[in-house]
Parts: sequence; structure tokens; C-alpha cells
Amino acid sequence: MKKITIILTVLGLMLMTSCEEFLDVKPSNYANPETSIKTATDAKVAINGLMRKMTAADYYGRNFIIYGDAKGGDFAIRSQGRGLDYYYSFNHSASSGSGAGFWNQIYHNILQANNLIVSIQKIEDAGNGSALLSDYKGQAMTARALMYFDLVRLYGKPYNMNKESYGVPLVLELLEFTAQPTRASVEAVYTQILKDLSDAAPFLSKDKAATKGYLNYWANKAIEARVHLFMDNFTASLTAAEEVLNSGKYSLYSNTDWVGSWSTQFGSESIFELAIFPSEADLTTGSLGYYLLRNGKVTGAMGWFMASDYWIDRMSQDPTDIRWGIMERDESSTTRMGSSLKYVGGSAMTGDKASRSAVNVKVIRLSEMYLVAAEAALRLPTPDRVKAADYLNQIRKRAPALTPADETTVTLDMIIDEKSKEFFAEGLRYFDMIRLNRTIEFNDEFISPAVVITHRTKTIDRTFFKTILPISQNELDANPAIASQQNPGY
Amino acid sequence: MKKLIFIFLSVLFVNAGMAQTRVTGTVTASEDGSPIPYTVVLVKGSRGVGTNTDAEGKYSLSNVASDAVLVFSYVGYKTQEIPVSGRSVINVEMVTDALALDEVIVVAYGTSTKGTFTGAASVVKADAIRDVPTLSFENAMGGKIAGLQITTLSGQAGSTSSIRVRGIGSMNASNEPLYVIDGVPVISGNVTQMGIYTSSNVMNTINPNDIESITVLKDAAASALYGSRAANGVIVITTRQGKLGKPVINFKASVGITPSFATDNYEAASTEQQVELYYENFWNAGKLYEGMTDEEASTSALAQLNKRFNKHGYTFSAPDHTVNSLTIGGERAGQYFDWESELFRTAVYQAYDISVSGGTEASNYYTSFSYTNDLGRSVINEYDRITGRMNFGQKIGRFIELNTNINVSTSSQEGFNDTRALGNNYFLQSRNLLWGLYWPTDIATGLPWTARFGSYAYNPLYYNNEWENWSKTQRVFATETVTIKILPGLNLRSIFSFDNTQTFDHLYYSALHFNGSSLIGSVTENSTKINELLSSSTLNYNKTFGGVHNVSALAGWEVGKNNTDYMRSTGTNLATSELHTVATAGKLDANAYFWGNAMVSMLSRAEYNYNNRYYASASFRRDGSSKLGPDSRWGNFWSVAGSWRIDQEGFMDNVPVISSLRLRASYGVNGTLPTSNYGWRSLTSYSSKYMEQPGGGVSNIADPNLSWETSYTSNIALEFGVLEQRLTGSIEYFNRASKNLLQDVPISNVTGFGSTLRNVGEINNRGLEFELFGEIIKSGGFTWTAGLTASHVKSTVTKLYGGKNIIWYEPTGGDDRTKFIYTEGESTLAIYGREWAGVERETGLNLWFLNNDSEPDLSVDGRPATYDYTNATEVILGDAHPKLFGGFNTDLGWKGISLGLNFIYKLGGYTYDAAGKDVNDDGYYWERIMSLDAYENRWTPTNKDAIYPQRVAIDMEDVNQKSSRHMHPADFTRLKSITLGYSLPQTLLSKVKLSGARVYFNGANLWTLAAWKVYDPEVNEYGSRGWEMPIGKTYTFGIEASF
Repeated sequence: MKKITIILTVLGLMLMTSCEEFLDVKPSNYANPETSIKTATDAKVAINGLMRKMTAADYYGRNFIIYGDAKGGDFAIRSQGRGLDYYYSFNHSASSGSGAGFWNQIYHNILQANNLIVSIQKIEDAGNGSALLSDYKGQAMTARALMYFDLVRLYGKPYNMNKESYGVPLVLELLEFTAQPTRASVEAVYTQILKDLSDAAPFLSKDKAATKGYLNYWANKAIEARVHLFMDNFTASLTAAEEVLNSGKYSLYSNTDWVGSWSTQFGSESIFELAIFPSEADLTTGSLGYYLLRNGKVTGAMGWFMASDYWIDRMSQDPTDIRWGIMERDESSTTRMGSSLKYVGGSAMTGDKASRSAVNVKVIRLSEMYLVAAEAALRLPTPDRVKAADYLNQIRKRAPALTPADETTVTLDMIIDEKSKEFFAEGLRYFDMIRLNRTIEFNDEFISPAVVITHRTKTIDRTFFKTILPISQNELDANPAIASQQNPGY
Repeated sequence: MKKLIFIFLSVLFVNAGMAQTRVTGTVTASEDGSPIPYTVVLVKGSRGVGTNTDAEGKYSLSNVASDAVLVFSYVGYKTQEIPVSGRSVINVEMVTDALALDEVIVVAYGTSTKGTFTGAASVVKADAIRDVPTLSFENAMGGKIAGLQITTLSGQAGSTSSIRVRGIGSMNASNEPLYVIDGVPVISGNVTQMGIYTSSNVMNTINPNDIESITVLKDAAASALYGSRAANGVIVITTRQGKLGKPVINFKASVGITPSFATDNYEAASTEQQVELYYENFWNAGKLYEGMTDEEASTSALAQLNKRFNKHGYTFSAPDHTVNSLTIGGERAGQYFDWESELFRTAVYQAYDISVSGGTEASNYYTSFSYTNDLGRSVINEYDRITGRMNFGQKIGRFIELNTNINVSTSSQEGFNDTRALGNNYFLQSRNLLWGLYWPTDIATGLPWTARFGSYAYNPLYYNNEWENWSKTQRVFATETVTIKILPGLNLRSIFSFDNTQTFDHLYYSALHFNGSSLIGSVTENSTKINELLSSSTLNYNKTFGGVHNVSALAGWEVGKNNTDYMRSTGTNLATSELHTVATAGKLDANAYFWGNAMVSMLSRAEYNYNNRYYASASFRRDGSSKLGPDSRWGNFWSVAGSWRIDQEGFMDNVPVISSLRLRASYGVNGTLPTSNYGWRSLTSYSSKYMEQPGGGVSNIADPNLSWETSYTSNIALEFGVLEQRLTGSIEYFNRASKNLLQDVPISNVTGFGSTLRNVGEINNRGLEFELFGEIIKSGGFTWTAGLTASHVKSTVTKLYGGKNIIWYEPTGGDDRTKFIYTEGESTLAIYGREWAGVERETGLNLWFLNNDSEPDLSVDGRPATYDYTNATEVILGDAHPKLFGGFNTDLGWKGISLGLNFIYKLGGYTYDAAGKDVNDDGYYWERIMSLDAYENRWTPTNKDAIYPQRVAIDMEDVNQKSSRHMHPADFTRLKSITLGYSLPQTLLSKVKLSGARVYFNGANLWTLAAWKVYDPEVNEYGSRGWEMPIGKTYTFGIEASF
């Protein structure tokens, strides 16, 4: 017995020591993050991952675009309860309709960008950097700048309203799971955005053809132009926008090509376009395209959002406006052209790659740079009205029946209206209205039969507390440090 | 008392020349009248003359002298000597031995007897579950063992119940007990990748009729030998072995029908009432929020109704502009479509079993084959299973014994979405979305209605034909046990097992289906292969010294490896609606990878008893697991225990009323591993491909120092029997302190993730368990017995590392349906949310208790309250754990007729209504069906003492808050099963050459008494009720025959 016990013990001890290897069972579909970015090829894979995550439903894949229009007065809803109508009705509180998907998704993406930046920095610090690696680092920093820009506009007060107020937590490193970050000021976030953009710019590729679906130097400049506009830095905004305009890399769609551009990927205007391929970020019947289709037009189309009367009136200034070509009748009548086909590839509904729902999202188009330049020129300390009119007219000519602007007639309203017409359903309107401290009117009468909207009044402006989102209850629960920094009113 | 599982040596027939008569008869157990197979029947004084009873308890002895005396013996029962006295039929009722504590029970790595085992173990024998129509044994165990909580997850065909032993010992690692089949720890739980549709529990692959006994190991002494997997208890399943004797063929057939649910489940108000609610909803909105006149409000409400339902053939009018004159007209006026009868049917359950078993001195065998088909109540729910088993034992020479058990099963399940999904959960649709005003055919065209209805339901009668889902599970489970008798008292036992479970899932949507339309049809096939290899070897030593010192020891090791291979192929853009395979697809997409874990253990146990009076035992196990990092993967688990047979003491001779008395106590440590294989590793995933190129990203932030959960359990029990064991019972106290509990803790999303797995705190479970069994009447062939089990478990969070509260959500259904908080000193199921203060009597508005110091709007019951829920602070609202739960069983027997009733009960605590926000909305989701409860109890000017607020068609969010509004008392009792059986008399059977025959009726869930009647009170382990398919009332008829 004793012998056997000894034998067993010895055997057991041998087993214990030799079986560490047996017990090291590794996953087959995951890698170790500490070692997963070692080369430029690895970094490319991570950049792909980051771009893909930017196409998530909670970000550019759908909701962020809808958000920018549903709240800006250009969208109307026909019926409540179809989906995302709480954006429209401002039915937000920390515990329901918080819109936390933005917060969660964008911070998840920022983590990916931070991981790339930190990992590449490590390789560079070890003396193994390369131009390619720096380019990827630049892309990650530019992406991070864009994401903070989006976050701070969702959760923070406008820069030109109160830049000392709370922005969003500013995270540039990889965090431990125990971290409880608190909010930085709006100003601090904007400062970081500009720093990321300027740090990144020198590394980025200027080769348009090689960067389809990714961020390049021109996208970086275009974002910079946008950001400066939101900070009322008109000189800087104009400089950045003009660098893009004057690069000659991009060209405006002609009036004959404009409608067709919605059934092509990476057109001549696309400065930053996120690719959505089938079985990647394709949301199928929940895609952006489906959200804008007429109720019942195809199976699964519920007619979530359509144009408001105000937008239709604005467009009706010129019945020959070529942009009517992407519109189709909505469910309210046989003639009201309220339904946009931008994200299904136009009336053929074959998308930009033979799929009705896997359609790219054009995040920044050249047309926007013209209108940014126009506005910046107009609002310079010494306005350059000639330039403003000239830039505006490049876009305004898409409504051929309208008289072109000139230095005497050009106004900010004309530029903003043009932006509304050109970028319908592209997620810009609301942020412009808030930035410009405009009153937003909602086409609530269009809801048929009428229902009562109780969470906001028919018209709002940026003094209304719900123009920015609440920090969600889940975040407050998990991160008590931020609890005292909830947006006022919630 | 229970009958034995092991056989005795049979005694061969010897023809004695002096015989004069043939004696036959049946041997039954006095406590329940059930037959006792393998009772040894000997002729006294005639060495070697005798027989065994067969499976039906029948025996036959030829050539017995008329003055002979027959001796009937069976372990656990008193041996009886009965003079033949010239009779030819002698039926014997065996009475349990006053000290029948030597019943053999299967425990960790071996067997023990009830009276000597020092741990807490309870046994359920096959007989106790045999009549319940069930796919898997768990469903039949409710209320039979103290400390065991069985919860039903779904009423779908193919679903099984879950078992919790002694409360919740884990936060977010599994609370599943470890299942051990024939000595082999096995996988448990769901094995499909189908998520919402078919959740196929691997336990379904074991035919309950193949089970001989189930032992539940509850305390550390009983379970610590299973070390790191045993903290939540161990369920040890032993399958049948062949018994010595002639081949016995058993046949069993049963058919059950389930025409209705067991209780009301959110019964909808009538169509007219729905229309009334709809009108009232908008009428109120117009009047209260837009300052309309009655006429304007009525016009607005009618416009809504007409807009929604004109297209379905209805018109609406209200001449006096109030609800009083509301009438429904139109082409289809007066007719409403009955969706419920189209979506639900009478469920039919059929099961057929045949088994053949037998044995000789050298070998024994048990083989079985079964077929089970269960057509669920939902028209798309079906389950089908075939199982086969071969258990074979062979002795080779005197020292070696081989046992091979092979179980093969194949099952298929076609399911039903049990989650809160508007598109395809038919139970939800019938109660919340499909109006009687909707019709499956379009009144305008006569064609099927294919558009989404206004409530967002689709026409299921059309779409049912445009999709399909099923999972097929095949399992081969083979175990080889070699026992070598090295020396007297010293055995080596090695078990090798191979367990292969393969699941094939299929999900198809045609191009016409709303889920397949954008892809022009899609089909997905998943293949999951789980391979588990396990080898254990133990050396066992038993010896008695000096007649009174009994010693046994065990030492050994165990190595296990589990690997799952997963493959998915998806095809879209399908060529033809005729063919539903990936092969026809225009676009292909695939995925394949594998995962797994490994474990190495060494184990040992020593037991000692002095003169069968004082018992002591100790065990030790060391486990290493791949689920933890190198620095924390090894854990030591141990236990000590002792017991004292007080009744064996001399001083007890003076207390004749007490026939048995035993005290036992134990203390030990065991553990729980994380559920996830790689929880300690931070990972980069490559699932984010972009533009058809690989894409990756960080997919979690892990804690590399993640460690075992460890439980420290003490247990003390008193077992007693009085009045010659007419009344037996036990009372048991346990205290389980669990440390380093794992939890997917919500973390700040700013980190990039919403949660991470961590060791976060400590839980204490302590409680009392009480079991009582009595033979109330036992005379003249009439027996009446009754048993009661009761358990009280207090489950408390004792410590949170860092002191921070953790808010978490119930995982069921994936929709965060119940919110809980872990906070020191509170229950492990402390429901968290805002405290609803009911409805204001004069206005019908929602009221909320503030629970903070801000300025109140008003006061309710003397407490500060508000109209605006956002001003109210969240607090702990109640406990989802019951105060007391258990069962009550009673059996009556008379001449082959038996009646058994099995009740379960639960007292105290709350259930959380996760569907109430859907069927009892405040008016925002106006085109949804409301429950009768909502209709009857809502506030109206004529019903001011209402429970629920006034309905107004504005988007109020009050109802969507996690709040006490959705909590209801959990108390209920249910007649879980009633069985009426009749064993045909031998005289009749012998004419048709049957050795036994029995017919029975079983009724399941026939009667329920509940404190809250809106939904089925038998809820899941989190105490919540959502849109899972409810269970039904099942009526089963069965026959059993043996040859």
C-alpha cells in the first residue's frame, strides 16, 4: 500500500509538472493583443478592423446618419413606433432611449485606434518604424479625431455656445478595466482633435486611388475644415477646405452624373467613403437604405423616415433640381417625393455593388468642402463674398432654374439651404442647425393620424437640454465618477 | 424506502424430487406497493433451492413441499419467513428494515451505503420518475429532494428544466451542477448554435428509462472529490445494468396530450375591448394634451382606428363622441380572426421503449431502444428522438471485470423563438400583436397578407411556409470501465470515456420571407462537434481490522480534454425555392474554428469507521485547468466529514420508539471554474473583415489573474426514524461561503467594452433542509404514504472587492429584462429599480416614490413621491429568492392500484414580469394587444381605484422602467404530477404469458394555485417571466409490459 502511494505521488507530481503544456489550450480564432500588431501587415489588418467598426449600425452604418437628419427638421415620420423615432421625438432619458449605442460603439472604436497608435509607437520607439506603419498610425489618429468630433457633438454643448462645459472623456491610451474616466471640457476635446489631425497629416498618403475606403491626407484636411467651422475658426476652416479643393484630386459630379453617383462606389467626390460589403457590415432589411424606403416598397421596408414638408418646400424652389432624381414618392401620396434612394443605389435599387442593402456610406464628399469653404469665406473676419458666392454656385447649379448667387446676394441661409438639399439623409443637418444656433421646426403634422409629441415642442433650439444626449444609466452605474457630470436636465 | 439497485446471486433451480406443489406470487414493497424485482426466494432448509423475483416482482417455485417455509430477502427490507401451508399463491409485502440504512448509493468515484456515507446525498430512483412524460429526467424531479430547485425554462417540446442545488453559489460562472454519468463527468447544457430558436440540452440524449438511479451530492464531503467543478453540487446518474437471470423484456408505451397551458398567460382582452382601449387611448390624448372637445377627440381617435383597420375590412364610429357609442362596422364586422387557434394546437407526446436485460454469473447486459416524438403546442415546434443503449459487463477470470456502456442517440428539434422578438415569437404575437382585426388574407385582393401588420407582426400563416429551422443532435457516449482485483480489498479501477456530440443546425429563409428578402433567400448550416475524452484511474483499498476498524482509501488521477469543432456555411441568393441547401446558393460565406479546455487532477480519499458506529472521512483533490492563467490554474480542494450512528449505542436500547438516529457533519472546499474557456486571456478577434480583407481588433480587456471561485461548505444533519421506521426524516443545515466569485462586471464603456469577467466578491448561502416520510396506513393490502420536503436558503452577497455595488441584468432572452444589484448584505437576487407608487386616484397618473431628498411633487402613504420617474432614485425593490420551497408527495396503493400525487410549492419572494411592459402599456404602443388584466384594472374616470394608470397615446416611458410595478408575489403550489396506475393481476397475466403488465395515467401540471394569476408562477431561476413558451397541462396514458 505504502509503495503504491509513493508511486502514485511520484507519478502525480510528474503529471503536474509536465502537463502545463497540456493545460495551455489556446483559442483558434483569436490572437494575443499584445503581440497582434508587430508589422505593417498586422497594422493593416487592424486598420481594416477599425474601418469596419466605423460602419457599425450604431455609427456610420446607420444610426449616426439618421440622427443627424431626424433631429434637424429635414426628416419627418409618418407614424410612431416604427423604429428610431425617439431621435425625432427627443424621447431621451438616461434609462430609456439614451442612445448609448453611440457612446459604446465610438469608445470601442477609439480603443481600436488607441491600440493601433500605441502599438505602432512601440515599434517605432524600438527603431523599427516605416513609412507604411506611420501612415497607419496617421489613419488611426485621424479616425480618432473624427470619432471625438462626433462624440463631443453628441454629448457636449456646441463649442461656440459653451466650450468650458463638459465634453466627453478623453482617452488616448489603453485603459485598464477598472478605469473610471471623467469628462474633459468641450474645449479640451477640440484641442485634442486638432492635435491628432495635425500630428497625423504628415504621415498620410495623398494617393486617392490607393486609399479608397480609408482615411487619407485629404480626408484629414476635410475633417479639419469641418472641425474649424464648428469652432468658428473660419480662416483655418477655409484654408483646410481650399487645400482639398485646390488639390485637384477630387472633382464635383456633373449634373448628368449626380444621380448616377449613388449607384457607384468611390466616386470622384468621395473624400472619405466607408465600404459596406455583403456579409460584412450589411444590415440587410435594417440598413440605412431600407430605413429610407417607402413603407411596403419591398418586403421589410417600413418607411421609417422621409423628407419633411420644409425640405420639400426648399427643394421645390426648383422643380428641375437634379437632386429630385434620387427621390421617390413616399407613402403619404402618389406625388410627394419624400423618400430618398441614396442608400439603395437609386431607383434600380441595385446599390453600388449589386446589393440593395450593402451600400457604402459617403462620409465626406467634395460638395461639402465647397459649402464649408463658402460659409467660412462668408464669415471671415473680413468676409470674402466673391469666394463665398463662387463656391456656393458650384453646388447651387444643381438646381439649374435658380439664379446663381453673387457677391451681393450670397447669404449664410443660401449656403445652409444648399447644404440641406445636397446632403439630405447624410447626417449633417442637425449639427449645422445647432452650431448656427438656428431654430429647428419639426413637421409633426405629417404624422397621420396626428399624435401628441410630448418630449419636445414643435420648434426647438440649442437651449433645449435634449439637444445633447444623456450619459446612459449603464455608464452611470458602472462609472460612478461620471455620475455627477450628467448633462443638465437629465 | 427505496429498493436496491444491485443484484444478488441467484440460486439455480434444482429439481427436488419430493416436491408436491408449485407456488407463485408477487413481492411488493409495503411503502408504495411497487413490485420488488430480484428478491431472493429460498426454501428454508433446502440448500440451493430457490429463485429470484423478476422485474415485476413475480416469482414461481415448482415442487415445493406443502409444509415448507419460504424465505424472502432483499437488502433494505426485513427478511420474512412464510409457511406455505398448502397454498399455491403467496404474495408478500416486504417491510423496510428498521435500520435500512445500508441502501447502496452511488457516490463520487464509487459506491457507499446510505447509513455509512458521511456526506449529504439524496437519491431518486427510477421508479419515482418513470411515469412522468419527460424527455429528460430533470423535469420529473421537482419537489422530490430538499435543497434542489428545479426551474422550467420553456414549455417548448425539447426543452429541459434546470437544476440548482442549494441556491446560487456563483454570480456569473455557471450555477449548473456537475453531471456525472456512469462515473464520467459530462458536458451539460445547450449544444446548438441556433441561439433563439432551438436550445437543445445535451441531457436530452439520455433516455430517462435507462436511468437506474440519480444521486444528488449536496455538500462538500460528498462532492469535493470532483473538486473544481463541484461547488454547485453534483448529479450522479447511473444507468441500468442487466441482472442475473433469464432475459427480461420490458416494453413501455405512452401517449400524452397537452390541449392547453397550465395557467393563464397574459390572456388578451377581447377584440372589442382592444378597440375600446385604442379609442380611449387617443381620445384621452386629444382631451388631456391637446385641449380638444369630445367631438374633436373622438374624430382623432376614430381617424386612428380607421387608418389602421379600414384595410382589414372594419370601420369605426362613435356618434355621441365617446366610447359608449363606439361601434365596429365594415365588411368583416362581427368576425374576428382567431390567431391563437391557428398558432397553437393540442400537443401530442409519444414515447416507446423496449429493453432487454439479463445476466449470468460471468456477464450481464442491458440493452434498450426508444423512440420519442413530441409535437409541441406551437405549430412549428417538434421534437423527435431515438436512443439506443448497450450496457455490458463481463468478468474475466476471478480478478478482472470489464464494463462497457454505449449510448447512442439522435434527435431533431424544430423550434420556436422564445425571446422577446416581434417578428417570430408566436406566443408573444398571439398575446401582444396579432389583433382579431388582422386577417391572413387581404380583404381587397383575396391574396395572403404579406406586409407587416401595423403592430409589426407578420402574418405567420403565410411566412411559416417560407422558413424552416431545425437542429439535429447525435451523440455517441462510450465508457469502458476496467476493474482489477489486485489483492483482497485492493482494486484498481480505470475508466476511459469517449463522448462525441454532434449538432447540425439548419436555418432557411426563402426570398419571400422578410428575413430573406434582401438576400434573395438565405440558408445557414452549422455543424458543432464536441469531443470529450476522459480517463481516470483510482486505486481502492478496503480492510477491516480487528473486526471493528473498517478502513478504506482511494487514490488516483484523472485527465480530461474537451474540444469543440465548429463550422458554419451560409448561402444567400438561392437558385430556387424548391431546394433549401447551401449548394444552390449564388453567394457563399463560411466560418470554422475550434475551442476547448483541458484538465488534470489527482484525487484521494480515506474513510474509517469504528464498528459501524463512528465514521470519519477525508478527501483531497488537486485540479489544474486550462481555463485559468498559469499563475492561478492549480487549485486544492478537500473535505473532512464524520458521522455517528447514535442508534447503535447501547443507551438507545431504552428508547424503542427511535428506530434509527444518525448525526453527521462535514466541512470542505470546492471550486467553480469560469464558463468561458479563455476568460483570463485578452484577445484580438478577426471577425471584422473590411472590403473582403481581414480585419481585426481588440475584443476584450481580460483579467489575467482570474482565479477559481472557491466554496467553503459546512453541513450538519440529523437523520432519524421512529416507530419501526414508519416515520423517517432528516433535518440538515448547511452554510456555503463562496469566495472570488466570477462576474461579468459592467465597466465604463469608455474603456471600449461594457463588461469584463472578474473575481468580484463573496456570497453566502445557508439554509435548512427538511425531509419527512411516513407510512400513514399499512394494513390489509392498503398502503398510504406521504413525504414532504422543505428548503429554506438564504443567499446573500457578503463582500464585494473594492466595496463597489454591481448592477447586472438577467441574461435570459438577451433583453436585460430584470435588473439586479449586488450590494453587501443583500440578497444575490436583489431586484433593483425605481419604486412605483401606483396611480393617482384623481388623475390616473403614474406615481413614483422619490427615495431621495429632492423636492417631492406630492406624498403617497406619507412618503415623498413624484410624477416624473426620472426624479426617483433606484433602490432595492425585493428579493427573487423564495423563503421556502419544496414538494409534497403522497402515494396510495391497494391491490395493484396505485395513486400518486406530487405537489411542488414556493413561498415568499417576488417574480418579475418581463412581458408586462408589452401587454400592459400606458398607451404608447397603441397598436399592440393589451391583456385582460390591463383592460380590467386600468384607470378610467369610472374606475378610480385602479391598479394601472390611465392610457394616453403619448410616448410615456413609465412602464418601460425597471420598477416595482412589474413585481408580483411568487407564492404558488402546483400539482406537478398525478399518477394512477393499475398492475394487472398475475392470474390474468399468466394466461397471456406476460410476467407483468401495468397501465397508468399521468397528469402533469393539472392544478395550480398562485398568488399572482396573470402568468405561470413557475418561473426561471432569476424569478422572471417573459415571452418563453409556457408549460401545459399534459394528460398521459401508458402501458408497460414485461415478458
